Amino acid sequence: MTRTDTLADLLDAAGLAGRGGAAFSTATKVRAAHAHGADLIVNACDGEIGAAKDGWVVEHHLPELVHGATLLAAGRRRGILFAAHRNSRTAGILRAAGLDVLEAPSRYVSSEESALVSLAHGRLARPMTKRVPVATGGRDSRGARIRPTLVLNAETVWRVAQIAERGPDWFRALGTPAEPGPRLVAVSGFVAAPQVLETQAGVPVRALLEAAGGLPPGSPAVLVGGLGGAFLSPDEAGRLHWSRESLGTVGAAVGPGVLVVLDPWTCPAEAVSQMLTYAAGESAGQCGPCMFGLPAVAREWDELVLRPSRAAEERVRRRLELLPDRGACRFPDGVARFTGSALRVFGSHLAVHAAGACGYTSRRSDPRVVVG
Amino acid sequence: MSSSADLPAPVVLRVDRVACTAHGVCASLLPGHVRLDEWGYPVVVEPRVGDAEARTAIRLCPARALYLARR
Repeated sequence: MTRTDTLADLLDAAGLAGRGGAAFSTATKVRAAHAHGADLIVNACDGEIGAAKDGWVVEHHLPELVHGATLLAAGRRRGILFAAHRNSRTAGILRAAGLDVLEAPSRYVSSEESALVSLAHGRLARPMTKRVPVATGGRDSRGARIRPTLVLNAETVWRVAQIAERGPDWFRALGTPAEPGPRLVAVSGFVAAPQVLETQAGVPVRALLEAAGGLPPGSPAVLVGGLGGAFLSPDEAGRLHWSRESLGTVGAAVGPGVLVVLDPWTCPAEAVSQMLTYAAGESAGQCGPCMFGLPAVAREWDELVLRPSRAAEERVRRRLELLPDRGACRFPDGVARFTGSALRVFGSHLAVHAAGACGYTSRRSDPRVVVG
Repeated sequence: MSSSADLPAPVVLRVDRVACTAHGVCASLLPGHVRLDEWGYPVVVEPRVGDAEARTAIRLCPARALYLARR
């Protein structure tokens, strides 16, 4: 008990926040988990569109990752699972290392915190309603008991090992006071050198893009944070910084550390249409506002692209207002943010597009680039 | 984390979205707090519900989808 409290205090001193997207205090989660004797799931699924950093951690820093997991599990040998997408390279590496692998299907919501907990209980990898935090246990929607489970992103667990070894001062020397520490960002899409970068909060977004070969001329936007994130116009990508404060001015966030550069040929309105169609198909089909709301957003976006008008845009906006905080997970909230940013960044293109002067030569982006 | 961590959070009505199957009883019992979307699923417009009212709605929800939470 003393030892586990010491670890949480250390993480508090470092100011570590989860690297999976929600940026919640890791110390707070760890304290709750230790108080409830929670199991541990290290999430290396990289479930977001364009995400790659957690697989990178597994590939390049596995001993430290395992050490971090051991520290978090407070000496327990059992009850540590490493989650990765089924048949993925990451799953193969984990299994070859003799670790217990929780293989999640390659679906968007399957690697959400409570979906992994559900899977670990022998059920489907679908999000559960969190009446209480999963680190403290509770019950699912049918009343079945849930084992307390601490779910942490793989990068987060790696950072725990680093902080334990090098101390909170080392950690806080990097990043910003609000978002301290080193952090990973995956840059992909239409760039010369897609890669996972070791960086920190506060750096210019442009520097991250330049490290991957730079923003190509004519690219209509950069997507930050995938389907749960937001688009940046080229101008915004050129002047904003990689921080909550700077990205927040346009509704974006550091999130799970993902940048995807759109190609210069594909019409962004059509790319968004494809991504919303994909999103609608990725609903787990459990929560009404999501299973009906996401297809409705996709349909109304398409109507807006075909026949843009103030009324059509208003229909999309009203639809987006009905998504947040109405699901077991934050997927619908993310799609609302994503679509809202598409309206903001590509709104002026819609009229041009509908008038037949789109200018982009392709209406279909390579789905392997856009989606996973 | 937040500076208000020491203050008790207000109790609010929440919907278990996995359990909810759009019976609509909550909107009938709690007008002004809950309305329904076009498919009949609740939109909680005012989550701070009086204790007695909330307990009645929780008891009568056919899907057992309503609960109170500190938020």
